[in-house]
Amino acid sequence: MFALMNNMPHLLGDQLASKFTWFPEQASTFAAENDWLFFFITWICVLFFIPIAGCLFYFCWKYCKPKGQKAESNTAHNTPLELAWSILPSFFLVAMFVMGARSYLNQRTVPEGANNIGLKAFKWGWTMDYGKGVMNPELHILANEPTKLSMRSSDVIHSVFVPAFRAKKDVVPGRYNYMWFEADVASERVSDEELAKAKFENGDGVWDYDKWQFTQDGYRFFDLYCTEYCGKNHSVMQTVVVVHETVEDLDAWIEKVSKRPADQTPEAWGEKLYNQRGCAGCHSLDGTKRVGPSFKESYGNQRRFADGTNATADEDYIRNSILYPKKQVVEGYQPVMPSYQGQLSDDDIASIIAYLKTVSDYGPKAAPVTDDEETNIEE
Amino acid sequence: MSTIEASPEVGHDEHGHDHDHPPFLAHHFDTPEQQFDSGKLGIWLFLVTEVLFFSGMFCAYAIFRALRPEVFEGCSQFLNTKLGAINTGVLLFSSLTMAWAVRCSQLEQHKGLVGTLAATLSCAMIFLGVKAIEYSHKFGMGLLPAGLFAYDPSNPHPDPAGHPPYLAYICAPFALALAGVLVWLVVSAVTGNKFQFAIAKPLSVVCVCFFVGVGLGTFLESGEESADHVDVHADPNGLATASVMLEAEESAAADAAPAIAASGAMIPVDESVLEILATDPTNVGVVSGLNALEQQTAAAGTSTVTGDGAILGAITTTEIDVMTPTTAGVFFSIYYCMTGIHAIHILAGIGVLVWLLVRAVRQDFNRQYFGPVDYVGLYWHLVDLIWIYLFPLLYLIR
Amino acid sequence: MSAGSLPSGSQVKDPGYPTPSENYLTNSKGILSWIFTLDHKRIGVMYLVGVTLAFGVAGLLALLIRLHLFQPDGMVFQGEEANNWYNQVFTLHGAIMVFLFIIPSVPAALGNFLVPVMLGAKDVAFPRLNLCSFYLWVFGALFFVSALCASGLDTGWTFYTPYSTTTDSSVILATSGAFILGFSSIFTGLNFIVTINTMRPPGMTWFRMPLFLWATYATSIIQVLATPVLGITLLLLIAERTMHIGIFDPEYNGDPVTFQHFFWFYSHPAVYIMILPAFGIISDLISVHSHKRIFGYRFIAYSSIAIALLGFLVWGHHMFTAGMSSLTTIIFSALTFTVSVPSAIKVFNWLATMYKGSISLTTPMCYALSFIFLFTIGGLTGLHLGTLATDMHLHDTYFVVAHFHYVMVGGTLVAFLGGVFHWWPKMFGKMYSEAGGRLSAFLVFAGFNLTFLPQFILGSRGMPRRYATYDPEFAGLHQMSTYGSMLLGFGLLVALFVLLRSVGAFSRFGLACGKKAPANPWGGATLEWQCTSPPPFYNFERAPAVGDPYDFSDLEWEADEERYVTVEPKREVIPEEQPKPAPAHAEDSN
Repeated sequence: MFALMNNMPHLLGDQLASKFTWFPEQASTFAAENDWLFFFITWICVLFFIPIAGCLFYFCWKYCKPKGQKAESNTAHNTPLELAWSILPSFFLVAMFVMGARSYLNQRTVPEGANNIGLKAFKWGWTMDYGKGVMNPELHILANEPTKLSMRSSDVIHSVFVPAFRAKKDVVPGRYNYMWFEADVASERVSDEELAKAKFENGDGVWDYDKWQFTQDGYRFFDLYCTEYCGKNHSVMQTVVVVHETVEDLDAWIEKVSKRPADQTPEAWGEKLYNQRGCAGCHSLDGTKRVGPSFKESYGNQRRFADGTNATADEDYIRNSILYPKKQVVEGYQPVMPSYQGQLSDDDIASIIAYLKTVSDYGPKAAPVTDDEETNIEE
Repeated sequence: MSTIEASPEVGHDEHGHDHDHPPFLAHHFDTPEQQFDSGKLGIWLFLVTEVLFFSGMFCAYAIFRALRPEVFEGCSQFLNTKLGAINTGVLLFSSLTMAWAVRCSQLEQHKGLVGTLAATLSCAMIFLGVKAIEYSHKFGMGLLPAGLFAYDPSNPHPDPAGHPPYLAYICAPFALALAGVLVWLVVSAVTGNKFQFAIAKPLSVVCVCFFVGVGLGTFLESGEESADHVDVHADPNGLATASVMLEAEESAAADAAPAIAASGAMIPVDESVLEILATDPTNVGVVSGLNALEQQTAAAGTSTVTGDGAILGAITTTEIDVMTPTTAGVFFSIYYCMTGIHAIHILAGIGVLVWLLVRAVRQDFNRQYFGPVDYVGLYWHLVDLIWIYLFPLLYLIR
Repeated sequence: MSAGSLPSGSQVKDPGYPTPSENYLTNSKGILSWIFTLDHKRIGVMYLVGVTLAFGVAGLLALLIRLHLFQPDGMVFQGEEANNWYNQVFTLHGAIMVFLFIIPSVPAALGNFLVPVMLGAKDVAFPRLNLCSFYLWVFGALFFVSALCASGLDTGWTFYTPYSTTTDSSVILATSGAFILGFSSIFTGLNFIVTINTMRPPGMTWFRMPLFLWATYATSIIQVLATPVLGITLLLLIAERTMHIGIFDPEYNGDPVTFQHFFWFYSHPAVYIMILPAFGIISDLISVHSHKRIFGYRFIAYSSIAIALLGFLVWGHHMFTAGMSSLTTIIFSALTFTVSVPSAIKVFNWLATMYKGSISLTTPMCYALSFIFLFTIGGLTGLHLGTLATDMHLHDTYFVVAHFHYVMVGGTLVAFLGGVFHWWPKMFGKMYSEAGGRLSAFLVFAGFNLTFLPQFILGSRGMPRRYATYDPEFAGLHQMSTYGSMLLGFGLLVALFVLLRSVGAFSRFGLACGKKAPANPWGGATLEWQCTSPPPFYNFERAPAVGDPYDFSDLEWEADEERYVTVEPKREVIPEEQPKPAPAHAEDSN
């Protein structure tokens, strides 16, 4: 600790000389307006504070007298003066309020045609839902186009804060909150060599964003913090925002993260889909009867349907149930499952089937998942 | 509370003072008027804090009633209006006797004061007795706050052996108090302590009144019991279908308990919340949100069984069923919080009234010094007034 | 009170009445005479000791927080549970500071001592209720200690649901403690309202009351009106945790934002419970130490009441990002701006009071000046947070932390210290070292600014609050803040040392205790300066002469005796000397 204290002047010098800024980079359409308003208010404050502090010190110096001396004046009040200093500053207040409220309304009014991204907050991490079942902890958006986040929380209150965008909104369990912003600075990409070097040095562990200052896809990023206290790992509940220049670039990234990585087994990928795509909400793994039949007794089991027919739950049946769920409904259940047609690729479906084989008590047992190398991106 | 402060014991007798200071006047006051005014302002401020204390719960009631009117309409049918009305009458009468007590203390009618205070206390006890019946009945049915809610529409009256004897638990402290007072009465009569006897006599009547209340409650509640039995017998296996229960309900009297399980199916579905969410194209996560909701309902074990293919779509089933822990629980939470805290205030009122009774027997009050009776009276009227609001809000509005 | 209620000579008749040589500290002895005392002054002193202890504990926790944040990945707490430790420490720092220190500091500790004396009354209206509220305070504090010993508390002092309904820590013990402390606060407020309403002596009209009493009155109104709502909120929270009543917990269809509304309906007015009495102290301090009539008495008095009432309408500004409708948010923002007007009025009035005064830069005056400087910064930065658009960026960042510390520490704590230094001679009858006092005022001022100015910049640069670890880019400012906190802590220790030394706490180490205090060391015109220092049991041996509390024209400085005396008996002045020839007591007659 004392070593650090010796270090202080150096650190302070750093802070004050080279790196000193009031605000992080301006990276959204809100930022410039917001900062302008901030400095507007600050200058008004300075305008008031300097005379107040000045008077304070001047009076202390000027009217400091030895004990027992009488005051020069004993004016009790001066109503016009007091009314003046009560009312005049109010005009500044009105100006601040109006500008703040207009800017705020702008932040709350989502423009037509904004891109939608779902956001789920949990202890302690984020899942961005790009639609069609693509989920990723990183937030990737398009530059110069408005993006709307529809946010929900699965446990306690969290809050999304992107300092570079000057935007913040709480994520409250039990309700959907939304926010929007339009990024106007695209993230740079680092060179491939730099990325390769970082990947090599980082190894297989968790990607160290703070160390490299770019994502594992090679993009520079903006920080996204949780600002509503949510428990033990509140301070590491962070993720990154990457702003893509073009829609092609974004699509390429989405394509990349939504495909099964080459080094992952179908079973492991299927398990991930089971957890991510909402299967787990209705189909248990332990035989519990939820909205849908449990997967413990699905694959290879004899099924009796609501229309009275029978069939064995084989690969084809499962594939059909995913794509056309209302066709064959198991007796005793409601036809409520939504179709996943167009949302899951063939490879995804095959992976799910492979996974179902591992969890079912019936039929030929597939090899259990042993692939521990699987990196769960939610972690 | 602040009445205590105005009592004549306040002050330090070791610090003497002028002898024109009457004995009931605390030393730091100059005149009896100043003392009385201070006490009066104090108790009024205290009542303001009480009102604000309850206002929190009234706000919660308003918020959740606005959010889920069908839950409140459905669940309030479980409350027995007759018992509520009796209790309202009892409390109103106690307010009358309390006001009378204040008048007696001003007129120095010491016997009348003791009598009216005892009458007020008796009414309070009857109120609590009836409340004990209401509570134990609902505990037995599993109509509890969300976390403990265990009501089963197919078996609204589980076997009393299956749950603890709630009524006995509630009555036990009062029975102990009664026994204690009776022993005291006998001892004071035997030893010839007139002062203690004069206190124990009204108090024993007061304690007996709790059991009068219990009897009254049981009598009124029993009419309803027979109606419930129809339902239970009609469905011995506990697998009620809506139609069977509807018949049972029609054959029974007006506001019988099982009405809700059936009428629940009749209540117009409040699909609005989920519908809006579902139609809003911006809510990407709504599918899994609905999944979670369905899963919750299914876990509660009510909708999927009764549905039986007749109802299309899980969302509808989810919303129809008011009697799940997550929906009905909030009504009973608010019911227990409001009436429970009100009952605690009644108990506190009983405490200070007993203290007044002792002082009334001692003939402490006179024309100049009747502040404590006045202050307790104000407090008692407030407790009464709060019940006057609780009764329609919880029992009557449907 | 009629002037004749205590006719002179009553002491002679009645040997039980304390003789003038006996003050409230010495008129009865033994620990029991303190435990069961009904004397408002002793209760005030007990509160003073209690809140100082609470402040010491919470202050040490604050230093731990600052030390931990010296390094980006945390310096003090290490290992797996480091973040949990940090969370518990900042929670307890906040909860103890708010519930056990700031809320009772000025109203309960100084207020209890001063309200009846300033009024010229013998005691508060309900002395037993007063003692009861002190013991409720102790009891509530014990609950906090037991929560600490059980499994800690990690919810933040705000107890937001659903975190507080799901965490494993002792939320129930802590909320019960806060509930009990709430009742302590209610009873104190109720007592003061009644005392001020019914126990003013003839001649003391509402507009002849010292401004400290106006501020206390406004504070008491808030305590009586807002605290019950906190009470029911905490009860419902306890019920939510034990029975899952489903009002605040979304898992049972409750609404967490409802909790926030309930909570802030109390806790925002509570901010004014903390700062209003400080305004009262400063109004009196500035006027007395400038030896000049307070400027715009009525504006200051009315603005206290206005703040108390407006304070009830602005709680929503803690929830701008929580998901209220846009309309509600904008309305709360507009109302928030209205509160800043009465606060600004006071600052201008204080400056105008100093103008053409005769200023003595005594220790209390140094603290008062420091207050004006710091509170102005705290108030002005509130504008950034009240403005909706900027609040979107600054909400829940270190900017907010800095803002409310400028108001709570730079405001309330500094005013409390100023008040303690101002009335210390009256409370304990000893003068302290002026040099030491001024040094402490300067150290506190410098240390405070060094601690919290960097936090404004941290906040605007996007550092969220309640973080146990942070990005390395914020390290330099955090380190500045940590150095400042040590300086601040040192300054506070100096203040404590100076005060304790004056009453002889260190006399065994050869440090002489302070000189005996005269009845009126500063030249105050309010009633408390008419009784001896320390006051006798019933405060005044004779009914005090009620005059204008801010008329200093008839007070003259006696340099030999280092005291002010009333020279020109234009009011009914009773000579300070004893009527009884008691040579043994002659030196006490001041």
